[in-house]
Amino acid sequence: MPRVTKIVIGLLVVAVLIGLISFRGLRRRMQRLAETQTADERARHEVLAPAISSPTDVTVKAKIFWAAGSDRIAPVEVQLPLSADPVLRSRQLLHELTVDPPTAGQRTIPADTTVLGFYILPDGTAIVDFSDALSSEMPSGILSEEMAVNSIARTLENNVPVLRRLKILIHGQEVDTLAGNVDLTGFFDLNHPAAPAAAATAKSQR
Amino acid sequence: MFLRPDILCAVRNALFFAGLATFTAVFALQLQSTDARTTRAPAQEPPAPAASQQSPPSGPLIVLDPAHGGTDTGARGETIVEKDAVLQMARLVRAELERQGYRVIMTRNDDSNPSYDDRAAMANSHRDAIFISLHVASTGASGTVRAYYTQFGTPPPPAPLAASTNAKASNPPAGGLTPWETAQLPYLDVSHRLADLIQGELAQAFSGSGPTATGVPVRELRSVTAPAVAVEISSVGTPTPDLLTASATPLGAALARAIQAFRPANAGGTR
Repeated sequence: MPRVTKIVIGLLVVAVLIGLISFRGLRRRMQRLAETQTADERARHEVLAPAISSPTDVTVKAKIFWAAGSDRIAPVEVQLPLSADPVLRSRQLLHELTVDPPTAGQRTIPADTTVLGFYILPDGTAIVDFSDALSSEMPSGILSEEMAVNSIARTLENNVPVLRRLKILIHGQEVDTLAGNVDLTGFFDLNHPAAPAAAATAKSQR
Repeated sequence: MFLRPDILCAVRNALFFAGLATFTAVFALQLQSTDARTTRAPAQEPPAPAASQQSPPSGPLIVLDPAHGGTDTGARGETIVEKDAVLQMARLVRAELERQGYRVIMTRNDDSNPSYDDRAAMANSHRDAIFISLHVASTGASGTVRAYYTQFGTPPPPAPLAASTNAKASNPPAGGLTPWETAQLPYLDVSHRLADLIQGELAQAFSGSGPTATGVPVRELRSVTAPAVAVEISSVGTPTPDLLTASATPLGAALARAIQAFRPANAGGTR
């Protein structure tokens, strides 16, 4: 074998070894960066919409619906202090859904989304008013929009039994679609006998 | 010279019948030559290219709707924009459906953005239409495809067609006006059935796709007075548009199979 070839092979072997050694460190650094971003995001959100607490808060196991894979949502059981008042309870749940997904990949609604208002009508209709971020930062697509709406509806449905229907507003206005596809002019059934069963598979304990 | 009146009458009759016979003979000869020309004509035309094009397409009219357009880009990836990708795919799907003998029109064939109502109106102006809206998602496992039928949150009052047989599904509701905003209501059952059939075919053609369709209030479908579904493929995150357009022909074939299975139970006309 010519000497030059030997040198080239040797250099390649050294380069591969250096790459393997530095790979672990690089991965660790990327994980740390992701954690820092999540912490920053949470801190920003806490300023925009601080956590809600009330004197009637009792720590219970709540079912929060986050993404489980690329095309479905699944409940995650979370220990949360929740109010007995349905309005405050709903706001606490939506806050948790937005701010605290277990991983960034499980997020269903944009991180900057805040709840501007929440009302319950006597007939059990919940009206939730989200900030513009829900619409403007939502990736367009039937799948992503459906997962977002479903995660909101199923989280409220499973933890606030008095709710019957959900109406979503964006910045106080009724809008045609969430991000170009899913119709927001109507109502979403909650705790309705005909409502499709939530995806109960892949239930995970947090 | 004077002829007897009876002889004169006989001569006149003879001349009349002779003229009539001559005229008939000339007319018959002309007719024969015309027949000869028309029967020779098909031999001079080019041969019919395919069996499916020999008879004019019949059966349902497929209204293909490439979603978004114009300033509404839809989902955006690094190299792919939904409005362009769906238009390119719709053209290929249309070609495949036409190859299989279906009549197809598109709600847009350029970078325009018809309103939701205009898109629905294109389907509503035909009596025997099937509306299929094509989308590309932002998310989802690459290469998977999903079919959707629409849903309305508030339980509606009993609609004339909801409880009727499928055979009447292509007719407008009898009596009264149909509210434009909920025009799809009477067709929910047939749209659900069509979406399930399409999803069944998609599950076989595109691995990783689910077995049943999903009910989602898709805006484009709510005012369509015909069986209406949305089909969404993942995703704009695909590295090159070629990978998406390559799936258009199998998508068209899957749609054709599903429509063929859907038709006998849902309309009087057949392909």
